[in-house]
Amino acid sequence: MIGSRAEKCWRAEGLLRAEATAVWAFAVRNLQMATRNVFLLFELLFWPVVGVSTIGLMTRFLALSTEDAAFVLIGQMAFSIVSTCQLDVAYSVIYDIWSKSMKHQFLAPIGIRHLTIGSWTVGILRGTLVFLLTGGLAAWAFRINVFDPGLGPVVTLLAGCFLTAWIVGVCVCALIMLFGGRAETAAWAPINLVLALSGIYYPVSVLPSAAAHVARAIPLTYFLDTYRSNFGFPSAYPHAALTGFALSAGYVMLSHWALLAAVGRARRTGLLLKMSE
Amino acid sequence: MLAIDARDVAKTFRAGWIGRRETVALDGVSLGVERGAIFGLLGPNGAGKTTLLSIFATLLLPDRGRITVLGLDVVKDATEVRRRLNMASGNASFLWNLRPPEILSFYGRLYGVSGRALRRRVDELLTVCELDPHRRVPYNELSTGLKQRLALAKSLLNDPELLFLDEPTLGLDPDVSTRLRRYVASLRRERGMTIVLTTHYMREAEELCDEIAFIKAGRIFARGSAGDLKRAIQLGDVIALRLDPPDVRLDDAPGVLRAVAANGWIEYTVDAAEKRVPELLQRLHADGVVVRGIEVREPDLEDVFVEMAR
Ligand SMILES: Nc1ncnc2c1ncn2[C@@H]1O[C@H](COP(=O)(O)OP(=O)(O)OP(=O)(O)O)[C@@H](O)[C@H]1O
Ligand SMILES: [Mg+2]
Repeated sequence: MIGSRAEKCWRAEGLLRAEATAVWAFAVRNLQMATRNVFLLFELLFWPVVGVSTIGLMTRFLALSTEDAAFVLIGQMAFSIVSTCQLDVAYSVIYDIWSKSMKHQFLAPIGIRHLTIGSWTVGILRGTLVFLLTGGLAAWAFRINVFDPGLGPVVTLLAGCFLTAWIVGVCVCALIMLFGGRAETAAWAPINLVLALSGIYYPVSVLPSAAAHVARAIPLTYFLDTYRSNFGFPSAYPHAALTGFALSAGYVMLSHWALLAAVGRARRTGLLLKMSE
Repeated sequence: MLAIDARDVAKTFRAGWIGRRETVALDGVSLGVERGAIFGLLGPNGAGKTTLLSIFATLLLPDRGRITVLGLDVVKDATEVRRRLNMASGNASFLWNLRPPEILSFYGRLYGVSGRALRRRVDELLTVCELDPHRRVPYNELSTGLKQRLALAKSLLNDPELLFLDEPTLGLDPDVSTRLRRYVASLRRERGMTIVLTTHYMREAEELCDEIAFIKAGRIFARGSAGDLKRAIQLGDVIALRLDPPDVRLDDAPGVLRAVAANGWIEYTVDAAEKRVPELLQRLHADGVVVRGIEVREPDLEDVFVEMAR
């Protein structure tokens, strides 16, 4: 009896370790690729800094109030964080497209959760760096302290950004597994458009009504809304953060399922093999 | 006990969303591979060899057919099957700027190996596959031979019971190929691994494989040992003679199928050399013809291949 319980424990531990190991594999790979390539470092620094600088200078030119400037800058920062983090998630299949090595990882006994979560952890790391960097820049260059609301709201905003990035990244992966490498460039467009609708530079209320409906379906909208409420913009939604998390949970499941289905289809059509030669 | 038991496997590739093109890659293949065997798949380009291996390795779903690998259903128990097999192909490719130990560690982790066990395993494989001196070289700077050996090392990470090798010696020089073949043979000998390989090199198939299946246009055309295949195709043996006077002909002798003259030699293709050689010599002797040279050749698998691929 005790023996069997110990064995169960041991097996559960082994299983857990195998899970963690497979996730870790993708995290290490993304980190290695990121540190090996100077252009990736460039990508990490360049676009967020350029983005925040131009937006910051624009707010100065338009002589916006500190609150209004903070509103726009927060949107810009969130966009940079999501872009950076989702890129890491998407890399988990893009690297294999580029190197034509796709079949090897799907030959191994892994699930797609390992692939997405592993690369997502590196995305979180890089996204956090982007947040600190751009936030620091905003404080130093434009005297706008986006960290002002304190740890709780900051963590909520970051969590929202990272969840959105996971969803976007996994959708990109799914599109690539569905259409092959040629979808790679097209995959970014519709998703970034959807993101732009989440009210990055303006409140959702100024959108035309059709677009506003779309915005209401995007989790990031709610996370931006609740964070900005700390800067004197009354929240447009009751329980904004909660709604954001609930929506994210739904999309996380949907996108996971989409990628699962896309990989299954690639196994059926032979695309998986075509992406490896 | 069978390592692979496939019944009536079919696969058609469909390309294009509109205006569909269809390619029948496999058209009802049934195949059994004994545990501990080295099994060769031979056939012309586009015959369906890679397709068949990919289906066995769970990388491709069959349209129809029942396939059991190591006693498990390849479709329903795919994850468990994946744990126990692995695959290396001659045209494998990995992440371009990672180094051999990093590539092996990545795939090792996917098989759940971690920490010290992983390091030990990777070191061991790098040594066995003679990659030690190239530890710090990024993948895209490795030579073809080294890439191939890395692919083989990767395929041994999980100590598979069943190993698929898709043209493992593609583009390797003869010396490296020989060593690789020797290593593959030792894998079976020492670890009892079942190995299924595809190749275009007849020497390789003849040297390594206990059994060969010849596949053409998605169907198994013939199977058996190299000897069986040669017999089945009835290519006949060749008796080459250099005679004095050189213009003596024996075309009408019993058992002679063909006669070709070249460079002073006449090559007679006969049904069975062991029976016909004494008969021919007897007749030549009786006619007072001097035999300056004689050579007897069995057809090699290459001839069988050319014949079958026709
Ligand atoms: N992923 C794929 N998508 C579409 N068609 C494919 C795919 N893979 C193979 N085919 C087609 O299926 C047929 C069988 O191909 P396969 O690669 O199995 O042949 P093979 O015997 O391995 O040939 P080779 O000796 O050239 O490697 C070919 O006509 C090929 O064009
Ligand atoms: Mg092939």
